[in-house]
Amino acid sequence: MAIEWPTTTLEVWNEEPLGVKNPKTWAHYHSYGGWGRFFRGLEQSRLLATRCTNPRCAEKRLWLPPRTGCPDCWHPMEWVDAPQEGTIFTFSTVKYPGELFKLPAGTPLISVELPGVCTKIMSWLKDGTPRFGMKVKAVFNTRKPTHTILDLAWVPAE
Amino acid sequence: MIRFGPGNLRIPKFEKPVYVVAGGLTDFRKKYPEKNSCELCMEAMRMAVEENDLKVEPEEFRRMVNWVVYSQFADHFGDQLLAAAKIHDYLGFDPLGNIEVKTGGATGGSAVLAAAQAVASGYADCVPVVGWERMDEVSTRVGNSYIASAACKDFESELGWMYAAYYALMAQRYQHENNVPRESLAKIACKNHEYARYSPFSQNPGHYTIQDILANDIVSDPLSFLECCVMSVGAAVLILCDEKVAHQLSDQPMRLSAICGGSHTLRTADRRHMPILLLPNETEETYRHYFEGRRHEWPGFSSFLASRMAAYLAYHMAGIQDPLADFDLLETHDAFTISDIQTYEDIGLRPYGRGREFIESGDAYYEGRLPTNLSGGLIGTMHAVGATGIFQLVEVLWQLQGKYDRFHGDPRMWARYGKTKPADWRSLQVKNPKRACAISHAGTGSHVTCAILERP
Repeated sequence: MAIEWPTTTLEVWNEEPLGVKNPKTWAHYHSYGGWGRFFRGLEQSRLLATRCTNPRCAEKRLWLPPRTGCPDCWHPMEWVDAPQEGTIFTFSTVKYPGELFKLPAGTPLISVELPGVCTKIMSWLKDGTPRFGMKVKAVFNTRKPTHTILDLAWVPAE
Repeated sequence: MIRFGPGNLRIPKFEKPVYVVAGGLTDFRKKYPEKNSCELCMEAMRMAVEENDLKVEPEEFRRMVNWVVYSQFADHFGDQLLAAAKIHDYLGFDPLGNIEVKTGGATGGSAVLAAAQAVASGYADCVPVVGWERMDEVSTRVGNSYIASAACKDFESELGWMYAAYYALMAQRYQHENNVPRESLAKIACKNHEYARYSPFSQNPGHYTIQDILANDIVSDPLSFLECCVMSVGAAVLILCDEKVAHQLSDQPMRLSAICGGSHTLRTADRRHMPILLLPNETEETYRHYFEGRRHEWPGFSSFLASRMAAYLAYHMAGIQDPLADFDLLETHDAFTISDIQTYEDIGLRPYGRGREFIESGDAYYEGRLPTNLSGGLIGTMHAVGATGIFQLVEVLWQLQGKYDRFHGDPRMWARYGKTKPADWRSLQVKNPKRACAISHAGTGSHVTCAILERP
C-alpha cells in the first residue's frame, strides 16, 4: 500500500527566497518543583520566603523569591511568612511589553524592599502611581489565580 | 554580604600567549531572509580568511585549524538545536572537535574566552570562533518574549516579558541615586547611532539630536526606542592562534593579553551588598563619601558586579593600572544607554556615581581620551546576540591593525551590502592605537567578559 502525501502544508510567506511558516502551538508542562509552595501560598494570601536552617550559616537572611537551598551553605531552608508591607525601591512603566504579558501595556513594574528580606522582589503596582520610597502592601489574586508571579501585586499603603 | 575566599580572586593566567590574527563580519539586518545562518557564517568566515592579509590560501588555512568554538545565544530564535553542528559541517570543519558556548548576551565574549583557554593551554593552536544569531523568524513582540526567557521564568519573565523593562528599573534607580540628566544618557545614543553611519555593517545608523532621542517613543520609562539595542541577524568570526601559528598566518597579529569573566545573579532582585571591589586605579579614599545621600549599598541595582569582577581580573592579568590612560579604544556592550553609564563605572573609567562624566567630558568620543563604540555598538550597528562579543573584537582588531578605513571606507564594501557610502563619511581610525578593551555582557549583568587586545 502506497503512503499518501501529507495533507498538512506549510504556508509560503515569501516566494524568493522561499520562506515557509512553521506553526508552534504546543504547551510546556513546567513544574515549580520545591518553589511551588510559594505560588500555592499566594492563593492563600501568604507571602512565603525562606530562611536557612543551618545554625552555622553566616547570614541566615530571608530570601524572596524563595530558595529551597541556601546559596551560602547549600543547606535546606525553612518557609517563613515575609512581611506584607514594604517600600518601592524602583519602578518603570512598561509601554511595549513582549508577547505573553498578561497585564495591559502601561502597567507599572516595581521592585519592593521589605524589612528583613535581603532581596528586592520584582512585582507590579495594581493601583496608584509609583514613586521612590512609597509605602505599599501586598495584595493577592485569590479568586482566579494565574499560578504565576502575577498573583502577587501591591497597592499604596499610605 | 558577598565575601571572597582566597581562591575566588585568583588572577587567571595563560600558559602560552594567545594571539588574534583575523576577523570577519556580515552586515547586520533586522530581517535577512536572503541568507540562512549557515550562509551567513560562511560569509563571515570567508572575510576573516580571505580579506585579512593572511599569508595562506583558504584551503591551507582550513588544514591548519584544530578546534572550533561556536557562539549562539538562543536556540529559540533559530528554531534549531545543535545548529553549531550544522554550521561546522557547512564550513567543512568535520571531523574536528568543537563546542558551542552559551552565556546570553555575553555569549560572544565567552566563546572567545573558551577559544583563548584552548590556545593558552596548548590544547589547540588555531581556533576560529564563529558567532551568529537569527532573530527574524518571529515578530519583534515574540522576539522580546524570547529574550525575556533569559530572565527568571518563575519570578521575573511574567513581569513584562521585556528585557528593556528590567533595565528601565535599574535606570530609574540609578537616576534616583545619582541624579543623571536625561541628556547625558541620550548623548550615548546620539554618539553610537552617529558612528554607525560610517559603518557599512550597521543596521540602525542615524543622525539624531539629543531632543530627537528624548522625544522618541518610550519602551519602558525612561528608556526610548533609540536608547535600546537593535535586534539583528548576522554573523562574526575571529581567529585565535598561538604565537607560532600567528606569525605563520599574519604580519600583524595582536596579542589577547587578557580575557576574564565575572557573574552575578540572573534576578536583579537577588543582588546582595558587599564592599566595593577596588580596581588598580581606585583606593578606599575614592569611595569615602559614596554611601551618602541616596546610596546605601553596592552593587545594588546601579552597578554590575559581574563587570567589575571581569575588569578586576583582566586588569590584573594584563597589568592595567589606569584604563583611561592604558587603553586607546573601547567597545562596550551598549544594550541600553543606562547600562553603558553603569559599565563606565564598573570598569573604572570614572568612580561609581560619576559615570556620566565619561560621556559629558567628551572622553568617549572619537579623538577623545578613550574613544568608545566607534563600531556603532549595539545601539547603532548590531546585536545579533551570538555574534556581538565577537563583532566587538573584530572591530578593535581592525582598529589596532590600522584597517578601519579598509573595512568601513571602501565604497565596494558598502556596495556589497546594497548600500551607498555616505557623502559625509569620515574615518574613525584611531591614530596609532596600542591597546583596546571589549566588554561582553549578558542578562542584567549575569555574565560579563572583559577582553584586552594589544599590539605585541
